[in-house]
Amino acid sequence: MPDLVRAPGTRIVRRGIERGPVREFLVFSLASELYGVELARIREILSPPPVTPVPRSPPEVVGVCSVRGLLVTVVDLRRKLRVEERPLGRRARILLALAQSGETIGLLVDEVKQVMRLGDGEIEPSANALGGDLSEHVLGIGRPQGMFLILLDLSAIVSS
Amino acid sequence: MADLTDKAREEFFSEASDIIENFSRNLLALEGAGRDGEPDPALVNEAFRAVHTLKGLAGLFGAARLGTLSHRLEDLLDALRLGRRDLTSEVLDVLFSAVDVFTVVLDAERTGKNEPLPSLDALYAELERLGTGQAPDAGGGLDYELDAGMLAVLTEYEEHRLHANIQQNMRLYRLRVQFDLASIDKSLDEIKDRARQHGEIITYLPTGSAATADRIELDILLASKSDLATLIGALGSDNVVVEEIPRRQRSPEPPTPAEATTGAAAPPQEESGSPLAVAGERAIADRERSLKSLTQTVRVDIRRLDHLMNIVGELNIVRSSLSRLSDRVRSEGQRALAAELTRLHRAFDRRLSEMQEGILEVRMVPLGQVFERLARVARQISRELDKEIRLVITGAETEIDKLIVEELSDPLMHMIRNAIDHGIEPKEQRAAVGKPEAGTIALNAYQKGSHVMIEVEDDGRGIDETSLVNKALKLGLIEASEVEQLTREETLGLVFLPGLSTRETASDVSGRGVGMDIVKTNIAKIGGVIDVHSEVGIGTKMTITLPITLAIVSALMVQVSTHVFAVPLATVSEALNFDREMVRTVDGREVITLRGSTLPICRLERLFELERTESAPTRGFVVVVALGARRLGLVVDHLFGQEDIVIKPLGKSLSRVRGFAGATELGDQRVGLVLDTAALIEEVLSSSDGVRERLGVMHA
Repeated sequence: MPDLVRAPGTRIVRRGIERGPVREFLVFSLASELYGVELARIREILSPPPVTPVPRSPPEVVGVCSVRGLLVTVVDLRRKLRVEERPLGRRARILLALAQSGETIGLLVDEVKQVMRLGDGEIEPSANALGGDLSEHVLGIGRPQGMFLILLDLSAIVSS
Repeated sequence: MADLTDKAREEFFSEASDIIENFSRNLLALEGAGRDGEPDPALVNEAFRAVHTLKGLAGLFGAARLGTLSHRLEDLLDALRLGRRDLTSEVLDVLFSAVDVFTVVLDAERTGKNEPLPSLDALYAELERLGTGQAPDAGGGLDYELDAGMLAVLTEYEEHRLHANIQQNMRLYRLRVQFDLASIDKSLDEIKDRARQHGEIITYLPTGSAATADRIELDILLASKSDLATLIGALGSDNVVVEEIPRRQRSPEPPTPAEATTGAAAPPQEESGSPLAVAGERAIADRERSLKSLTQTVRVDIRRLDHLMNIVGELNIVRSSLSRLSDRVRSEGQRALAAELTRLHRAFDRRLSEMQEGILEVRMVPLGQVFERLARVARQISRELDKEIRLVITGAETEIDKLIVEELSDPLMHMIRNAIDHGIEPKEQRAAVGKPEAGTIALNAYQKGSHVMIEVEDDGRGIDETSLVNKALKLGLIEASEVEQLTREETLGLVFLPGLSTRETASDVSGRGVGMDIVKTNIAKIGGVIDVHSEVGIGTKMTITLPITLAIVSALMVQVSTHVFAVPLATVSEALNFDREMVRTVDGREVITLRGSTLPICRLERLFELERTESAPTRGFVVVVALGARRLGLVVDHLFGQEDIVIKPLGKSLSRVRGFAGATELGDQRVGLVLDTAALIEEVLSSSDGVRERLGVMHA
């Protein structure tokens, strides 16, 4: 509930003035890197159910699964972002996100870590340094508490 | 609150669209009937009422432009029904264009955009040009011994119809009828229907006197050609007294209608109750009737039905768990309990199928919805091309899944266009070969098993196979060496190849012949196939075969390697044992012999590049799928039997993946893919280079 924490008079608001509007990011890992997506865009976090592969689908699509009757296309974020693929562990999760088209997309990640609040001032806007395939999917880089967070643009990821 | 308003607005829009469709239907009927002389006054009046209702609705929802447009048309239609102007084809044209403008205006109201609408302005200009029409005709003398009380309460329209009938030397009759109050609706409709076969009902009014309190007496004023004896024979009964209203002896100065009306206005108020009150009652009765008809139907967003269908799918899973549970209880020796569980399971199963059928039924809509739109298009095109077309529609009541109907309208429109543009010859040519000048296009729909067939048939010039082949050669779509081997069916099938038009020049209407291949693709998308038959000089018939519903299908569950697939049963003609030794190779393609004929086969594992953990079994099954004349054998490892499945479409991100109609839940939290057999047949049979395969025609 980001709106609640920004209610007038709270401490967060005063801190918010220094670092700009605050957004919450869900932090997860792919291989050894940490990534973040805006929490408000994630509807649900699931332990991976059985996923049925779909022949002839694009390589990053793992397949389809059913979430309480809803058909979800599962995309392997590691393949999508060309990150090293390790065998899925116990901590692997699927993040459900709603695409612009109205379709629910599942994003497969190695591990979900925590939720972080980042002010706009704390996000390095340019991702030029990253180059290549990644840059079109990246909002910016966050460095809270000495971490290195690649903040992903969820709209760009689920729509391509 | 916002939701409520939105919902109300949504209903307003669908109500308005319905009225506009009704209006369009009236116009078509008017045009059809009007060709043979006088337009049917009842139809004109109905069109007037439609626009009138629309005006009221628009006012209610503050749809200003819709309101103004309705108002302007109401004026025109009022002049028509009051006989102030004739229904010329020019007027009909304007009215028909109004149907399209209505749709545009409605869209604009829906999106709330207030940008100028050129078509609306054009229509206003047309209406302006038509003017208001002449003054009402005086109507001649009313030399009938009409009850003054009745005359006083006639509406302007009824009065006009009375005059019009008198001018045509119709006789006037009064039917005095008595009904039970309890059954008045039915009885009145019944007598009205019967009376209408003999003439026109000008009006009907309660007389205010009846034998008992639970009965009601009405006077029906009927104008008819028939004589009294005929009418008494046809309509008379204990409750219906037919009297002819005699002509007045010609008095030196017959009273003008105005005199008759105003002169009579005062006395009846004392004589026979209050005519004003009577008129008021009728208005209320009308309103109640229209309210009633509104409440008997409910419009539902198709997504809600999908949602219900999903729930049914979930319940199916519960059902199979129940079945497993009763098996387990039985195996643990608790027989009585198991029997009870089995009974429960059966009852649940039965109710669930009923529910499934019920929901499916709700999704079904008559094809008439699309056909009416097509009739309008056909009319427009025939005008543009100066060809006279008679569109004959049968089977408009045939029902099909709402989603299929939506997807059908474009392909059918294309086919009608082609038929009028390429099929029907110009008038002179038709006359020269002794055909009637008006070309006939038949649009037939009927159900055949679990399929719906739609035919578009014209009596035009037919497809010239030689010129079709030549063009295909010129475009390099076939090789000269292939031509000889083509059967007639295959030759005609060439029209579905991209880029082939049967005419040398492109036209505004159907363009350069990019149509038919797109038609074929679109039909295939909704699980249908299209076939063509044609005789030179006699005509062309295109037949579309469609599944009745998309939502729930019976499917054969099969397994290939570790993958489970569902094959829609409607497309399965049989399944047989498969042995590697049965396979022969013809033209680099694997085939087997089935009862003396050749059947091409497709190994799903190769087609889908499925990985195998172990080598393929030597034995398996062939599932023979067929659509129209095309057959294909799908080679699978195992058959699991038949199941009713709910097909869920794959998401947009997988829309480019061919070969799957969707996915379905298998009951153990897993998902199985549903094969799109139509697409597979198309793909496999057209994959090699020969034109035979490209056309997808394989002869058994």
